[in-house]
Amino acid sequence: MTTRITEDLKAWIGREATYTAPEEFGRAPFRYFAMALHDDNPIYSDPEFAKKTVHDDVIAPPTFVCETNQIMNQPLDENGYIGHHWPLPMTSTRFIRGGNDYEMLQPVRASDRVTVVWKIKDIYERTTRKLGTLIFVVSEARCTNQRGELLAINRETNIYSP
Amino acid sequence: MNIAQPKASGAVPNGDTLPSETFRCDLTSLVMYAGATWDFHRYHYDAAFVKTLDMPAPFVDGQMIGALLSSRLMRWGGPNAFVRKLGYRQRTTVYVDDSIVIAGKVTSRATENGRQIATLNLTVTKPDGTAVVRDGTATIDLGPA
Repeated sequence: MTTRITEDLKAWIGREATYTAPEEFGRAPFRYFAMALHDDNPIYSDPEFAKKTVHDDVIAPPTFVCETNQIMNQPLDENGYIGHHWPLPMTSTRFIRGGNDYEMLQPVRASDRVTVVWKIKDIYERTTRKLGTLIFVVSEARCTNQRGELLAINRETNIYSP
Repeated sequence: MNIAQPKASGAVPNGDTLPSETFRCDLTSLVMYAGATWDFHRYHYDAAFVKTLDMPAPFVDGQMIGALLSSRLMRWGGPNAFVRKLGYRQRTTVYVDDSIVIAGKVTSRATENGRQIATLNLTVTKPDGTAVVRDGTATIDLGPA
C-alpha cells in the first residue's frame, strides 16, 4: 500500500494559527445568524426577554463563535473565501467535511472580542475500495474572549480525496 | 416580511422528544447562512462554478447543520437553555433545495451542580430516508434544577 502522507505533510501536525477579531461582535450578528436558521428565539435578540432568564442579556446562538471567518479579517480569495485554511502540501486540495464536535464553555456575548487558535491535532489516512486513499485532517479551534475566558472548542475533520 | 415563525411553540417544553422539523435548504437560506457567517465561497450559491467541480448543485455548509441542530435544541430547552456539547458525523452532502428532517430523543437526564442536564440523540434525514446525520449527540443545560 502506498501512503499519501509524506514527511512534509506529517510535519503539519501540531501547527497553530491565531487570529484576533478587529472588534467585538455587537448584537446584530446574533440576530442575523438566527434569522438564517428561521429562528426567532428572543434569547438572541431581545434584552428585555433575556433579562428574565439565567443569561441576563442576549447571547449568541451556540455554534455562532465557531464560524470563525468573521474573526479573521482576511481578503477574499479567488473563490470568495476569507476563512482559515491550512496550505497543506498535498496534490489534491478537494475535501469534504467529516463532522464536528462542539463544546460550549460559556455563552458568547455582544461585548466579546474573540481570539481563535486553530491547531492541527492529527493527520491520518484510510484506504477505501470505492474512493482510494483518503486523508483525514483533524483540526481544533479554541475561542477565547478579551479576558482570556475559553468560550468554545470546535473539533472538525476534513476528508481529502485523492 | 416575517420569515421566522416559531414552529415548536405548541410543543411541551423539555418533553422527551425534540419536535421533528423539516427544513428546506433553499438558495435563500444558503445565502443567508453564508452571509451571517462571512462565508462567501462560491460553493454555496454559484451553480455554474460547482458544476466545474463535478458537483450537481451548490451545497450546504456542514456547520449549518450543527447550527440548525443547536437552534432547535435551544428552542426545545426553553429560555434558560444552553447547549454545552454537540457532535455529529456528516454522512452525505446536502444540496440546495434538499429538505432535511431534524429529530431527536432524550437519552438521559441528570442534575449536575444544581443544574438540569439532558443528553439527546439526534438525526438529520433527507425525505427519501438518506441519513445525513445518524448518530448525533448533544448535552444541553436546561437551567437551575
